[in-house]
Amino acid sequence: MLFVTPLLLVTAVGVAAADLYGTEASVRPETAVSAAPPATLSASPAASPYPPEEYAEAGIALARSADAHDPVETTDSGDASHHGGGYKIVQWEWSYVQTPYIIAIWILVASVAKILFHFSQRVTTVVPESCLLILLGLVLGGVVLIASKKQLYQLEPGLFFLFLLPTIVGDAGYFMPSRLFFDNLGTILVYAVVGTLWNAFCTGFSLYGMKLAGIIDEKVEGGMMEFLLFGALISAVDPVAVLAVFEEVHVNETLFIIVFGESLLNDAVTVVLYKVFISFVEVGPGNVQTADYFKGVASFLIVNVGGTLVGLIFAVLLAFVTRFTKRVRIIEPLFIFLLVYLAYLTAELFSLSAILSMTFCGIGCNKYVEANISQKSRTTVKYTMKTLASIAETIIFIFLGISAVDKSKWAWDTGLVSCTLIFIFVFRALGVIGQTWVLNWFRLVPLDKLDQVVMSYGGLRGAVAFALVVLLDGHKVKAKDYFVATTIVVIFFTVMFQGLTIKPLVKWLKVPRSTNSKPTINEEIHERAFDHILAAVEDIAGLNGYHHWRDKWEQFDKNYLSKLLMRKSVYHKGELWEVYQKINIRDAISVIDQGGNVLSSARLSLPSMASRTSFSEVTNVTNYLRENGSGVCLDLQVIDTVSGGKVEEETETHHLLTGNLYKPRRRYHAHYSRHFMTVGDKERQDREVFQRNMRSRLESFKSTRHKAKGRHKKERSQKKRKGSDAKEQEVNGKPRRNVSWQDTDPVTAPVDSPEERSEEEADKDEDVGITFVARKHETLKEPLKERPKSDMLEVYQSLAVIPPSPTCAEKHLPWKGGGGTLPVCVSMETTKIIPIDLQQAWNQSISSLESLASPPVQAEPQHPRVRALSRAEAARGGNSGGSDSGGSGPAQDPRFHFPNDEENGQSLQQQESQPLMSSMKPPAPPQVSSTQGMGRRPPTFNRNPCVYLRSLVSASPPGSEPRSRGPTQL
Amino acid sequence: MGNKQTIFTPQQLDAYQVGHSARREAGLFYRYHNLAPQLVPLDYTSKPDVKLPYELIGSMPELKDNPFRQRIAQVFSEDGEGNMTLDDFLDMFSALSEMAPRDLKAYYAFKIYDFNDDDYICKSDLEKTLNKLTRNELTEDEVRMVCEKVIDESDLDNDGRLSLEDFQHMIVRAPDFLSTFHIRI
Repeated sequence: MLFVTPLLLVTAVGVAAADLYGTEASVRPETAVSAAPPATLSASPAASPYPPEEYAEAGIALARSADAHDPVETTDSGDASHHGGGYKIVQWEWSYVQTPYIIAIWILVASVAKILFHFSQRVTTVVPESCLLILLGLVLGGVVLIASKKQLYQLEPGLFFLFLLPTIVGDAGYFMPSRLFFDNLGTILVYAVVGTLWNAFCTGFSLYGMKLAGIIDEKVEGGMMEFLLFGALISAVDPVAVLAVFEEVHVNETLFIIVFGESLLNDAVTVVLYKVFISFVEVGPGNVQTADYFKGVASFLIVNVGGTLVGLIFAVLLAFVTRFTKRVRIIEPLFIFLLVYLAYLTAELFSLSAILSMTFCGIGCNKYVEANISQKSRTTVKYTMKTLASIAETIIFIFLGISAVDKSKWAWDTGLVSCTLIFIFVFRALGVIGQTWVLNWFRLVPLDKLDQVVMSYGGLRGAVAFALVVLLDGHKVKAKDYFVATTIVVIFFTVMFQGLTIKPLVKWLKVPRSTNSKPTINEEIHERAFDHILAAVEDIAGLNGYHHWRDKWEQFDKNYLSKLLMRKSVYHKGELWEVYQKINIRDAISVIDQGGNVLSSARLSLPSMASRTSFSEVTNVTNYLRENGSGVCLDLQVIDTVSGGKVEEETETHHLLTGNLYKPRRRYHAHYSRHFMTVGDKERQDREVFQRNMRSRLESFKSTRHKAKGRHKKERSQKKRKGSDAKEQEVNGKPRRNVSWQDTDPVTAPVDSPEERSEEEADKDEDVGITFVARKHETLKEPLKERPKSDMLEVYQSLAVIPPSPTCAEKHLPWKGGGGTLPVCVSMETTKIIPIDLQQAWNQSISSLESLASPPVQAEPQHPRVRALSRAEAARGGNSGGSDSGGSGPAQDPRFHFPNDEENGQSLQQQESQPLMSSMKPPAPPQVSSTQGMGRRPPTFNRNPCVYLRSLVSASPPGSEPRSRGPTQL
Repeated sequence: MGNKQTIFTPQQLDAYQVGHSARREAGLFYRYHNLAPQLVPLDYTSKPDVKLPYELIGSMPELKDNPFRQRIAQVFSEDGEGNMTLDDFLDMFSALSEMAPRDLKAYYAFKIYDFNDDDYICKSDLEKTLNKLTRNELTEDEVRMVCEKVIDESDLDNDGRLSLEDFQHMIVRAPDFLSTFHIRI
């Protein structure tokens, strides 16, 4: 009741300003507009005083409603009267703000209503929200009616189709679980096309039969065509209603996707039938020629295929555009809304199936867009879409309720209403049973009786039917008022009665509900395995079955589409990282929420099967780590770091490591780091987390040392190769890569070959930025403060979580610690020295570091070198050391002792026992050395990787700052 | 040709028609024949003892990336070596057709995973599967971890390996799980 007051006010003002009817008319469209959040339009109403006109006109075009003509003139007159007077201190500018004001008020009413509903949990668990909203609408409508004697507000078809519906469909399409959808596409299509046709014709003919039989009153004028028309518009299951009700019921996914998919895809059928019958009605049944029927069929195909094509074209366009939004992240979400909405409008423009277009645009672009846009944009898109859809849905239902309270549009005929209700229910049930019977021949998991019951019972009608029936031309369809009344009753019955009872029914029948549990690891693996097996069997048989085509599609997607539509940095294996990232996030959240095991990569679509599987497993690893260790930090980066460490370890043990993993991650982070850098608040946290991880690794360092010895051989061989800069170039691709990024370091720069650079140019910006070695300074200042905390945390976490990765840890640490110093001390040669195996590990570790902060990455490369040097020296003796360091004495020593030896030695011991202390000391020496000269540093690093690592930890802190600082300091 | 009677005896046809129409049967036969025209006679009424060596199947270009090609052939071939007779060939499609009962599918899926044929999916089997699926991109630790999780999830009798019952139970628990495990011929 509270809400009503503003409305009344509005109305009163409207009356004063101009003639009542006009105001109302103008208000209506605007209200709807408001709901049509797709930001595009909302701006315009506020800006221009005459927005109503535009919308009203749009409404006319689409809706052909007689009312629409009034608003234009009315608003004009209203404005004129207002601006006519002399100067006033305070002016009543109602007409100026009217439109947006009313829109805002309506949205407010709808939103507050939702809040109120959810105050009482008992009510909302029993009664679907849609019912409550309709009831509220009825009440509001009643109040308005009493207050103004006329129904001012109504669900305007134009606004509904142009603004409200797209938001809901857009949301549905974009977040459609595509695999589920396509797995059941055949079934969905059958229900959507055959089922809707069946419903439409049966209902139409039966009603006509009733009419002939005299059960329907004579007042309902209409021939067969009118009834068929009515049958067509009343037979379509409505996506809005289905979504609203089914989302609360939680039936199992297959059932949901079938009913919901049907409701989306039947749009094409409905649109065509509706148009065909309208034209038949206008022409008159007698004048319909056989050719027209064929035209109808043809138009069905065109509307269908055309709508889908438009959607896919826009999907490609959208994906392509998002490829280049790297520098303008802030408007990424806007592109998505705009283009998806444009897909809808374009289809509408050519009178194709707009819903189909939008749905397929959403489905099609999702994968690429998600890969291209940033995490934040993703969240934004998700939230905005959900918000808009939710509001649109709310407003639709409220307005349905309000529209029902309109005497002028009602013409009640009991016969028609009851017959319609019975027929749509019966034919829906018959249709479902018949189709299911046929479909079950082709489905491995047949739809059983319960499913059929739910499907028939879930055939909800909604706002689409209402909008369509309101669109009818009262002059040509004489029985329009009867149809409107009947439609409203049908909608109310289905949404309220069926919506209310479907939940108990589902419970009572024990229809399998959707389990919220994420797919188990078993399912993950087996699903993949089955795909492979089936594809193999189909290949053996030389068949081009579903799996064959899906395989082909994935190939095509991987080879062409992804390259075209995905950002270069992303597409190389970027998808993996995206998925990986997502999974990590989800894991983190779920772990924190429930501490349970969460593995849900099922919904993510990956181009290559193998990669996907591997990633899901990685996820598990992450999970595992999380469970055992630091459950506190949600940050993505943190998670990445942990996993990265894992990966590194694995790499060391296994040389299998794919360069892929390493590369993508690095790129990804690089582009991500920017964001991070911008975010000041998180830095600290990240730092701490990073340090924690590092320390844990340090602790495990002991074990690593042993391993290091084993590698000497490799190192040697590499050393030989790389002895000189010239030789470096000869090194294989892998080493080179490392070199390339290390190049980013100021010192090493010369090493890189032009080729490598060109390849990584895109990334370079970021990488270069990362370079810095500035950390040392930070380490000195900040580490002191932060270390104590991190140490505490690390002590337990690290041990439990990451014992296996000692070597990796070492690497990481060195980088960080060396970050500042390394560039100086290590010459290009050092990079060469590192064994291939180690390099991979380094890379990985680097990538993990990157995740924390961009700067660490660059630092890391240096570190590896250092290590390599140390090892190499140890193995070889003075030769390698001397060349590497470029004349520094210490380098020659196998043991790498340096001036700082004492400290280092301490640090080593300390590492095991007290990571903090060691970290403190090591960093300082490097800085000194860096400033002083190249020669000194290498030795220091060589001595104790651990020490360096520690220093890194302390120094490692957030990437962004280090960068800037580093250069200056140096 | 096209007349199946020249190829099969009626009894053979009946036996094969688990989930196929005779026409499909013939289609599969021609496929079988085309895989090795020199080996497979067109007249099958005399029940010739012909085997399609695994090398032929395994070398098909379409299959070269498929991690399970050998395993599939082994599971469905009578000799366990991947050399398939026509019966084996047809059985394979029967088991994977839409008409085959779920239990049968589950059984074959189980068999495919059971690399060492001990009627249990043990860790080594799972590791093999994983490595095939990931193309050895995982490290031992990861593989081990995943395997433990998998067994953890579905090992009902806690014997550290998955029996057929465990496997079936897992599949029943996820009704849509096998829904894609079929091919249309």
